[in-house]
Amino acid sequence: MNIEDIKVCVLRIEGTNCEQESFQAFKRLGAQPEIVHLKQFLGQDVTDDEKRSLADYHILMIPGGFSSGDYVRAGAIWAARMKAGLKDDLKAFVNEGKAVLGICNGFQVLVELGLLPGFDEIMADVPQAVLTTNDSSRFECRPTLLKHENKGNCMFTSKIPEGDVLMCPSAHAEGKLIFPSAEVDIAYKKLAEKDMLVFSYVDPDGSYAGYPWNPNGSEKNVAGICNPRGNVFGMMPHPERVMDREMHPDWTRAFPTGLGDGMAIFESVLDEISKRF
Amino acid sequence: MKADHLYKKLEASFPFFEVLLDKASDDDLEALGQESGTGLSVDELKRIKLHFDTLGRNPTDVELQSLGQAWSEHCCYKSSKSILRDFVFGIDNSQVIDRGDAGVMEFDEKYAYSLRIESHNHPSAVEPYGGAATGIGGIVRDVLCMGCQPIALIDPLFFGSLDHPHDQIPKGTKHPTYLLSGVVSGIRDYGNRIGIPTVSGGVYFDDSYLGNCLVNVGCVGIAKKEDLYENKVGGVGDNLILVGGFTGRDGIHGVTFASAVLTDKSETESRGAVQLGDPIMKEPLIHAILEVGQKKLITGMKDLGGGGLSCVCGELAFAAGYGVDVHLDRVPTKEEGLLPWEIWVSESQERMMLAVSDDNIDKVMQVFKKYDVPATLMGKVIPEKIARVFFDGTVILEVDLEFLTGGPEYCRPMAHVKPDLKAETKLPVLPSDNVDILLDLLSDANVCSKEWLIRQYDHEVRGSTAIKPLQGDIRHSTHGDASVMKPVADSWRGLAIAVAANPWLTSVDPLKGGKSVMDEMCRNIVAVGGRPHSLSNCLNFGNPEIPERLGEFHQAVKGLGEVAEALDLPIPSGNVSFYNETAMGSILPTVTVMGVGIVPDIRKAITADIKSHGSSIYLIGETKDEMGGSLLYRKYDGFCNNAPDVDIAHLQNSIDKVLAVMDEGHVLACHDISDGGLAVSISEMCIGGGVGADLNIDSDQIASVELYSESNTRWLVEVVRGAETEFEEKMSGMPISKLGTTGGQSLKVSHNGSTLIDIELEKLDKAWRETLWNKMG
Repeated sequence: MNIEDIKVCVLRIEGTNCEQESFQAFKRLGAQPEIVHLKQFLGQDVTDDEKRSLADYHILMIPGGFSSGDYVRAGAIWAARMKAGLKDDLKAFVNEGKAVLGICNGFQVLVELGLLPGFDEIMADVPQAVLTTNDSSRFECRPTLLKHENKGNCMFTSKIPEGDVLMCPSAHAEGKLIFPSAEVDIAYKKLAEKDMLVFSYVDPDGSYAGYPWNPNGSEKNVAGICNPRGNVFGMMPHPERVMDREMHPDWTRAFPTGLGDGMAIFESVLDEISKRF
Repeated sequence: MKADHLYKKLEASFPFFEVLLDKASDDDLEALGQESGTGLSVDELKRIKLHFDTLGRNPTDVELQSLGQAWSEHCCYKSSKSILRDFVFGIDNSQVIDRGDAGVMEFDEKYAYSLRIESHNHPSAVEPYGGAATGIGGIVRDVLCMGCQPIALIDPLFFGSLDHPHDQIPKGTKHPTYLLSGVVSGIRDYGNRIGIPTVSGGVYFDDSYLGNCLVNVGCVGIAKKEDLYENKVGGVGDNLILVGGFTGRDGIHGVTFASAVLTDKSETESRGAVQLGDPIMKEPLIHAILEVGQKKLITGMKDLGGGGLSCVCGELAFAAGYGVDVHLDRVPTKEEGLLPWEIWVSESQERMMLAVSDDNIDKVMQVFKKYDVPATLMGKVIPEKIARVFFDGTVILEVDLEFLTGGPEYCRPMAHVKPDLKAETKLPVLPSDNVDILLDLLSDANVCSKEWLIRQYDHEVRGSTAIKPLQGDIRHSTHGDASVMKPVADSWRGLAIAVAANPWLTSVDPLKGGKSVMDEMCRNIVAVGGRPHSLSNCLNFGNPEIPERLGEFHQAVKGLGEVAEALDLPIPSGNVSFYNETAMGSILPTVTVMGVGIVPDIRKAITADIKSHGSSIYLIGETKDEMGGSLLYRKYDGFCNNAPDVDIAHLQNSIDKVLAVMDEGHVLACHDISDGGLAVSISEMCIGGGVGADLNIDSDQIASVELYSESNTRWLVEVVRGAETEFEEKMSGMPISKLGTTGGQSLKVSHNGSTLIDIELEKLDKAWRETLWNKMG
């Protein structure tokens, strides 16, 4: 299908706050994004013409923010509300090979939903990992450098060569990806075997490094992962904030113009969807 | 209490009283003003009595409370209005679109931007987290109620010294580290949650703020011109719909609390004046408000700030020449048993009032239902210019809106005692090595890196912060002079946003201080390639009933107004905060300015960090021996009454020339010279670029003036190697001097050929970067 025909749902609830720039990222690449409130899928408190069905979209994006305030574990409330009313629709959506993207709070929601990592099934009943409080115990808004580690499985990075480093800013208080202590080794083994590792935090020399280049203390510097099929992808940093070179933190140092590092992620998924559907 | 006998219970199903002003002595009135929490003076109460005498009755308790809110310093600017009228209200040009709760200015043909800065000082001094958070909430509503999407938050903060010994903190006062930590957390948790980037600000430390910290909060928004709204109803028959959070006992008497000095009892007595914030009510409220606005379902709106319902209902209707009937018992409350007057004056957060025609009520209700935001139909616009409030069928308030909103205005006595020309100059005792001085200045809390807090704020949510508060190489970024937003998706036009304040200079010489703050704001905006376009100010001063304080206010506003008028910079919104004092005395006179500039193409914006080796460093402007209020003198115990002045024509000329030479592409980096002078400025440029510099200053003045003077209208620029001749030609007629070249990993500064400073960048970086981390952890 043509990119112009790809329908993207940018989902929101109260406290979502990155929907506008997420919408804009897809729109400027020619797709048809729409900002949809979860209640439009659930049919609550909305008019008939506001009702929507997940099946009508090709890409589901869960943007960043503080859904419901994130006063309990980040993303948990939103995930619970989706699980309660949309579980089967979500499973079918992923099963069809459509794409699901979670950025920042969206990544937290996908982990809480059991869609990520999703080692052995599309959607685990119980979360298999957690994005927990940063080692610094603070909200961290800073530039982060992401090394692309995926070998071709992830739909969202197909246009990015393996080993490339992207600048995407991070802005979160809970981004440390951890697995249950008894299953840590096996989890990382699976991530590697199934080509689920997508981005790692590196320093300006391209080496794996600690804080602040890894802003949250995530084990093994993991910044983003996909599911074994490569069609569900979550990352903590914000590619939608760097669609233009002029949104990079240091762009005035080199006088470049043109695209920002985040664009390749949106281009990749639109390209993959247009090939597959 | 002493005034209890003035309250006579009236027949009603709820506690409701007549206030027997006709039987009150002067002593009774004085007690009444204090005990009622209204802060009304004896004279003001007598004026109220006279008014009600003509009606043949006494006021009710609800009416008295309502008048107390409307006539508070905070709401009616009774001590400042005549001065503001003399110097700033008249500054106008064709770019001003509206002067409502926020000012609205032209952005381009299709879009307008709005701006406002205000104070949330007293609440933050008592409860830093909630005070600061609800400060953000309030300023966001000011921008929102003009129909604008908020796009940037700006927070200048002022505290006592972080090193102040804990055992010497006055009674009822909290330690500055606790206050700073609480305020930053409050801004972070509210601003980050509602998804509006915090892009600019400043943190200032001086022990005059020990008992009374200042939390100034600013917001800038954007809207298509067709989506703008005014803060008034459309016409008679319009309905008032209250939307947002429930009303509670939090935030009662906030404006009267803000209009009195703080005491050691404020903590216990006024805790209830601080509101409670709920960003997850605000975030959907923003969406719902913008949706009903863009769908043209409303005729006007206004936010509930100081005075709560008591101010908004009347003002919204009266602005259009009408009045209102209000049904107070319909207001959803946080708890049972709120008294009618409490509901009427509560300043609970996250509330807005919409004016809606009959046809659109259902549609508006539907939108708010979708976002889970409560909406309550609670009043109707009537032709008579009165506010009439019903509770359970009883009329509990009926006042003439002209009387209610026509608060008193005072021309209080003032004394001009500054600059103190009799005060003798005291030279500072300086360390012999300039390297030691530079390291001291760089590590001073007023200069040092503010990364500790900047990185706790999300400064790039919404993806439109093109120039961020931290600039330069991502390994060692430095402070910028201004941030630049790209507010419209399909346009490269940008808004530069900068803050300026210099309380020390203003304290030495309020007139020059007012001018200097304007100069600094302009310098900051020009430094990133913006042309100053408008500003909003927050004027924080002590008790205006003390003539010396009001004298400082008068002179500072005069200075500010002189520059703004000459530069044709309108001030479409602003705020005055008086009574910032405690038993220990007043704060320094603090003029905070939030300037907005237009950047024609953000792709040409410039940052402060040095970009390359071998380029040339020029000083633009003249360095003068005017050390009054300077960081150097403060640090090393000097005093001088000669504070930096502003040559306004020169400032105008400099702005034009610097922007022109930037447009030619000759300038790689630019940084204004302010606190700590040239030496600090070049250090910050080197730190941000990770590139050193070798400079020599040829002059007849002593080195300490050349290095540390804070003379106005100066910038340091890095000029492209090979473009020096074009640069100098373009700047002809301007005082410029080539100081040297960039390169290496150290900073070397000489004076008439003899070396004063020679130090590795790494040491500069460490001194500048670590202070706040060490103090705050």
